[in-house]
Amino acid sequence: MTDYAIDARGLVKRYGAITAVDGLDLAVPAGTIYALLGPNGAGKTTTINILTTLATPTEGEARVAGHDVRREAARVRTRIGVTFQEMVLDQDLTGREVLDIHGRLYRLGGALRRRRIAELAELVQLGDALDRRVRGYSGGMRRRLELARGLMTDPEVLFLDEPTQGLDPQNRVGIWSYLRALNRERGMTLLLTTHYMDEAEELASQVGIVDRGRLVAEGAPEALVSALGADVIRVRGSGERGHFAACARALPFVTRVDSPADSELVMVYVDSGSRRLAEVVGAASGNGFAVEDVTVARPSLGDVFLHHTGRALRD
Amino acid sequence: MYATYVIWTKHMAKFLRSTEELLGLFLQSVLWVLLFGVGMRGLVGEVAGGDYLSFILPGIVALSSLGGAVGGGIVLLDERLRGILKEYLVAPIPRLSILLGNATSTATKALFQAGLMLVVGVLMGARLSPNPPGWLAALLLLAIFSVGFSGLALAVAAVSRSIAGYHGMIFLFNLPLLFASNALYPLAVLPDWMRVIVLLNPTTYLIDAVRALAFGAAPTLPLTLSLAVIVLFAVLCTWLALSLFRRSIRG
Repeated sequence: MTDYAIDARGLVKRYGAITAVDGLDLAVPAGTIYALLGPNGAGKTTTINILTTLATPTEGEARVAGHDVRREAARVRTRIGVTFQEMVLDQDLTGREVLDIHGRLYRLGGALRRRRIAELAELVQLGDALDRRVRGYSGGMRRRLELARGLMTDPEVLFLDEPTQGLDPQNRVGIWSYLRALNRERGMTLLLTTHYMDEAEELASQVGIVDRGRLVAEGAPEALVSALGADVIRVRGSGERGHFAACARALPFVTRVDSPADSELVMVYVDSGSRRLAEVVGAASGNGFAVEDVTVARPSLGDVFLHHTGRALRD
Repeated sequence: MYATYVIWTKHMAKFLRSTEELLGLFLQSVLWVLLFGVGMRGLVGEVAGGDYLSFILPGIVALSSLGGAVGGGIVLLDERLRGILKEYLVAPIPRLSILLGNATSTATKALFQAGLMLVVGVLMGARLSPNPPGWLAALLLLAIFSVGFSGLALAVAAVSRSIAGYHGMIFLFNLPLLFASNALYPLAVLPDWMRVIVLLNPTTYLIDAVRALAFGAAPTLPLTLSLAVIVLFAVLCTWLALSLFRRSIRG
């Protein structure tokens, strides 16, 4: 048996006429950080809801920490931790009470709860604020408290739905470092969803690109990026864009060409950007395409997303 | 169920901490008895052989238990709308224990409010009958009735989409439960058509029983019938809350 912390096959979730998840397969090896990357509405949250037993799949099946989310929901629940997309905290309780009540819901003993609270307060640096009411917490502190709550029960698998949405850069980097530490030091499996490319690139050892309820590409971030080509030449201009794309595609050193419908850009992936730049621009000018702007860069996950979905992923 | 107890203690901690809610409940009790009860006493003097304050106090107490239940329903609604409910739903606890946690905390608030009102009423001069077992029986009926009101409030809280919508729906219950009952006037003075409506209102039975048990009035309805209606009301409302709550958490 392969050691998958999450193993989902053919997940489908329909809400009436709307299909939120449309045949999604997901295999996350234990001890990895896996990021589901996709725009809002792609089905990431619904997938998390199914895997955390909040929603039952219309079709397909999933095992989390070795247990079926439908038939053994209670067992799955004892082994996972979850932080939700929206902040889900009681304003009138103190940080310590939030953690303590959470531990009691999972029937942790008093001594164990006190020890975990002390450890986690240290990990997420909430020491002084722990006995103040959540009402007075900043957004970053609330997120850190939620993270600590998700960790109270020392889960095997931690689910994080958009963990840094709405946080300032400093807090984002902080959360990232806690998550990396958890994965490294405790071997915890993390599944996170994000629509931030940099987050997926920074954190994840595996990225799954989700679009319209399906997994359209999957792999290590570097592998996904390098599969496109060593460099990307982004050409902005006006005129016969389709014709230019076809001509560029015919050049021997071009690995692929993307020309998304909703932008004025043509992305030309090549073996070496600086060497091929002149030829690519030359192919444009002879073909009724007026070049306005050219940049050479290493491809990013954003380019990967665009390549697989035909649309740009906007933050 | 331990999880029910955990949720109950959490709600109680939040309740005891929210000074506005406590002060609001307390003042509401005092104002009702003071403004309405004492004012009307000057006008009416005596009803069915007793003083008016003693006559209307059971009704005010019953309706204030609705006020307490409304506050409890708000907690469920708030936790539902803000997603706090999801913390319980991903925890390894029975779904039923979540509703029971809410129901017990709501009923506690309702009973607390009812008890407070009773004390204020007695201090203001309502005359209890010299019959402590009767007081206890009345309190027990009030407790059962509070469970019913809690169910009603939770059922509405399970389906409301906003705080305003919740209050709107609750208000719809509040007014007829008070005025279409025997809370403010005796059954005997009502026209026939209205008496039919009043007899469909479970509050009528509670008020009549409490008057008889705690204030020494002669019951106008058989006590066993009142008990049966109150229990049935509590069971139906709890069932309603449970089914609507189940529907609301189905993912």
